[in-house]
Amino acid sequence: MTTIKHTAPVKGRRRFGWTEAAAIVIALFVAAPLYWLVATAFKNVKELGSPSPTAVPKKPTLANFHEAFSTYDFGRYIANSAIVSLVTTALVLVLGVLAGYALARLPVRGRSGVMTALLMISLFPTVALAAPLYLLLRDIGWLNSYQGLVLAYTALNLPFAIWILRNYLLSIPKEMEEVAWVDGASPLRTVVSVILPQARPGLFTAGIFTFVACWTEFLIALSVNNDDRYRTIPVGIALFGGQYVTPYGTIFAAAAVAMLPIALLVLIFRRAVVSGLTAGAVKG
Amino acid sequence: MTTHQDQATPPQKAAPPATARSPRPRPSGRRRRLARMGWLFASPALLVIIAVTVFPIVFSVVMSFSNVTVTGNGFQLSGVTGQNFSVVLHSDRWRHALEFTALYTVGTVVVEIVLGTAVALVLERLTTARGWMMALLLLPWAMITVVSAQLWAYVYNGVYGVLNAVLSPLVGHDVNVLGSPIQATLAMAVADIWKTTPFVAIIALAGLVMLPSDVVEAARIDGAGPWTVFWRVRLPLLRPTLAIAVLFRVLQAFGLFDLPYVLTSGGPGNSTESLAVLGWRVMFQDLKFGPGAAIASTTALIVLLLCLAFLKVFRAQVGTEETA
Repeated sequence: MTTIKHTAPVKGRRRFGWTEAAAIVIALFVAAPLYWLVATAFKNVKELGSPSPTAVPKKPTLANFHEAFSTYDFGRYIANSAIVSLVTTALVLVLGVLAGYALARLPVRGRSGVMTALLMISLFPTVALAAPLYLLLRDIGWLNSYQGLVLAYTALNLPFAIWILRNYLLSIPKEMEEVAWVDGASPLRTVVSVILPQARPGLFTAGIFTFVACWTEFLIALSVNNDDRYRTIPVGIALFGGQYVTPYGTIFAAAAVAMLPIALLVLIFRRAVVSGLTAGAVKG
Repeated sequence: MTTHQDQATPPQKAAPPATARSPRPRPSGRRRRLARMGWLFASPALLVIIAVTVFPIVFSVVMSFSNVTVTGNGFQLSGVTGQNFSVVLHSDRWRHALEFTALYTVGTVVVEIVLGTAVALVLERLTTARGWMMALLLLPWAMITVVSAQLWAYVYNGVYGVLNAVLSPLVGHDVNVLGSPIQATLAMAVADIWKTTPFVAIIALAGLVMLPSDVVEAARIDGAGPWTVFWRVRLPLLRPTLAIAVLFRVLQAFGLFDLPYVLTSGGPGNSTESLAVLGWRVMFQDLKFGPGAAIASTTALIVLLLCLAFLKVFRAQVGTEETA
């Protein structure tokens, strides 16, 4: 940055201008609350309750993390979320690929009707589902269980996953499949050995969206899994602490750990996430 | 965009009909077998969706028209009644929640669209570190809303919050923004805008990148300044993309639950109680399933109507643009 280039200045290409300054301001706005979360997680009790908080913890401590995972059983919430999210993601991908393939390639009647219905369902407000879902799960004895939440999340995430996968499958050339057909492979065989390897980016996108949705979902989890043993991370964090005191240090330590896997996932598979976010906008 | 592929049919269909009696060619055996296979593939997913979403939606509507009696180990539905709806629609609390949700939705979505577009314009011009910026923008999107609600609750705290530390020396007393209805609403909107503007920005950026460069170039050559190019050329072209972002955001904002539930508990009083929070409380805290279902059903109906109205306007707009 500090070295001076002895070449002629390129016209219209400034090194640092308004764009860069604006970008820095935006970055600070986005990052500041995240920084505050992490910094607070390392503050001791005295600093947490100080009326003049400092940006950097004066005496960084791991006490909050210890508190979250020893005194409170936050590890269990993370385990619960991991179980529910991973099983749901696997189920959504298996069922979603089969349905997406059928709706993209096989001569199923009423395909566009099904696709429109799926879109409508995926936009439906969850609060309208909470009570009947609660009663349904109660009737089959699946309240406060993994399978109940997995069932609910699978159904809630399938419509979007089917959309993503179907659109992706439509973009892969048909030739390979036709070769498999001519060779006498069954449709299932075709999906497994020809479609799956090519559909990998689509699977990543659908998988990450499902995982993130399960990891962050609150309303349904609060309604059907409120027993401490089956709480997921959002429910655990929302109901943390007592009625009058909110142990923010402990909450943020727990939250920072809970956000870590999802932050890494999103950063590593950035492209897949962006393509999923923009799929609706660009494809129309 | 994908509709033409839907109509793709195998060449067999073009074969002339065998007899005059059946003008439409019968689907070949293979085609029928494939169609059956298609339903077989799609049915597990569709059955799960129907069982867990469609069936409950229908049940919710039925429940909203019934007298629901909750007993110790179950509940009973009896009769058809409009009672639940008349109770709900005449209550001040519901009206307030509807007003609050509608105003909040309009306010936050407008700000998010304006800011999101601005951020997208900056990102588009950015030549270095664009990847890093995109990565940073994805973090609020992936953030657990409950976590961000707790974080903002700490920031807004009237005793040890940062906002208080910054503002109290200026005004001379402690500042507790969550203590007054209007300030609490604004505070919640800020938390919401922080989390969702990046989402709008990413969509808007994708739209900007896809704009036909020749049109923009032509305007520039004609002597239009950057301001004119943006307002007269790029923004109109960007409109369909922004419309999709508005649709997603409006529907999401109308289901607003996590943020008020954790950040304000709907308070102070009932001032920040959204329709979803109200419906949930009536069902799960007061155990009034009938009125609760009525609130949920009306919310869903409003969302559905918004969706249809939007599609109609959008179709009309895109239609005229495509023929132009």
